[in-house]
Amino acid sequence: MSSDKQAQTVKKHKLNFAFREKLGTFAEGFRHNYCYQCGACVADCPASNYSKEFNPRLIILKALLGFEDELIKPDSEIWSCTNCYTCSERCPQDVRPVDVIIALKNMCYSEGKAPELIGHISDTVLVTGVTTKITSLSERRRQELGLPPIKGYPVDEIKKIIEAD
Amino acid sequence: MTYKSIGKYIPFFGCMMTTKYPWFEAAVRKTAAKIGMELIDIDGFTCCPDPIYYQARDKMEWYTIAARNISLAEDLGYDLITTCSGCTATLSEVNLALKEDPGLKAKVNERLKKIGREFKGSINVRHAVTVIRDDFGFEQVTKTVTRPLEGLKVAVHYGCHLLKPSRVMRVDDPNHPTILENLLKAIGAEPIHHDKTMLCCGKACMSDAIPEQMIMDILETIKSREADCMGLICPTCFDQFDIRQIILGRKHKKKLDVPIIYYFQLLGLAQGLNTKDVGLQMHKVKADQIFEKVLA
Ligand code: SF4
Ligand code: SF4
Repeated sequence: MSSDKQAQTVKKHKLNFAFREKLGTFAEGFRHNYCYQCGACVADCPASNYSKEFNPRLIILKALLGFEDELIKPDSEIWSCTNCYTCSERCPQDVRPVDVIIALKNMCYSEGKAPELIGHISDTVLVTGVTTKITSLSERRRQELGLPPIKGYPVDEIKKIIEAD
Repeated sequence: MTYKSIGKYIPFFGCMMTTKYPWFEAAVRKTAAKIGMELIDIDGFTCCPDPIYYQARDKMEWYTIAARNISLAEDLGYDLITTCSGCTATLSEVNLALKEDPGLKAKVNERLKKIGREFKGSINVRHAVTVIRDDFGFEQVTKTVTRPLEGLKVAVHYGCHLLKPSRVMRVDDPNHPTILENLLKAIGAEPIHHDKTMLCCGKACMSDAIPEQMIMDILETIKSREADCMGLICPTCFDQFDIRQIILGRKHKKKLDVPIIYYFQLLGLAQGLNTKDVGLQMHKVKADQIFEKVLA
């Protein structure tokens, strides 16, 4: 994004510093406060290199300024992050931008504003104990390869431990 | 840190490898035994849970489910070894986060108490390739080779989570790693390090266009370097490059034909296993022809 465009984006929004407090209730949702906007996280970010729309420095800036309506929605740019952790390697301030992005994703989920796929796949873990499907084909293949059969997964234990206290 | 012994490990194969790609698990089990790794299977593991979708849902739940898995291995006191970079990412990060942060550990243990479990922080989580390098060495790998893969050019794909975040992983230089190149040389293959070797597979990205371009770029680079195949260590990356290669090849009307091989399959072939033993015939992009030259 050019600096002109950035200035326009900033003008368009009301600053909302209360957003920092809200994000702070999610794990790692405070690290953006260390950011000094150097941009070191951008150059080797694959999502940035393959899309002009994506920029981890700007995501951190929006989190600092509290642009909640842009960040907290199912089609927010945050969902294009590839979770590659390169930004965390490059950041001199230990912001760990990807971890802030994950905190933003957690906020989306908690408000029902995450893409459907997130709930769909993570719910599978709570129902079956795993993310992938166990089919009769996978069982047969395991047998052919001389692998031990898949035992049941302790789904009840998972359900108990994810309940908040 | 209590080390009972080097040589015994608790394997964590994860969801993808046990259900979708069991031939990768078979390759690990067969080859690890020859190197001298004793794998001790335990019951009760669930999904790690995955670092993409589950972590995006709720990080506290993610920490807790992972901590439960780790605590099962702690009961026996052996290190937990992973064979998928996704499992490696989740279990390594949670293991370290809880060891570093007593407050977080206490919160997680409060939840684990409901099922009579506790995360202690007494073991390590390591990807199997790291265990081979650090506990056995590349020479030990070479000693198990009966059929060196001479002349086989393997384009290296690191995937992100063996190395990054380096603060957590502590495996190799995150920008200029050598572990996979050395493991390939140890079995007689020729590693090809190309300028997209370190690029991500794009699986976590929820846009269609970004990963599509990344995958095409990586595969076309490999083709231009005349490598025989891509070598990798993660079933999720495999998903991106094998099945999606067929889909994208059709869409872009390009013949890519880059076979994608998991490192332990290559190791198995070098140890004398046949292509069926390691499940090569199951791949969408056929790999049989290139191995004719190696197996001749
Ligand atoms: S590298 Fe770190 S400090 Fe610099 S802009 Fe990115 S997040 Fe901010
Ligand atoms: S993890 Fe960081 S570097 Fe990687 S895609 Fe996300 S923002 Fe970019």
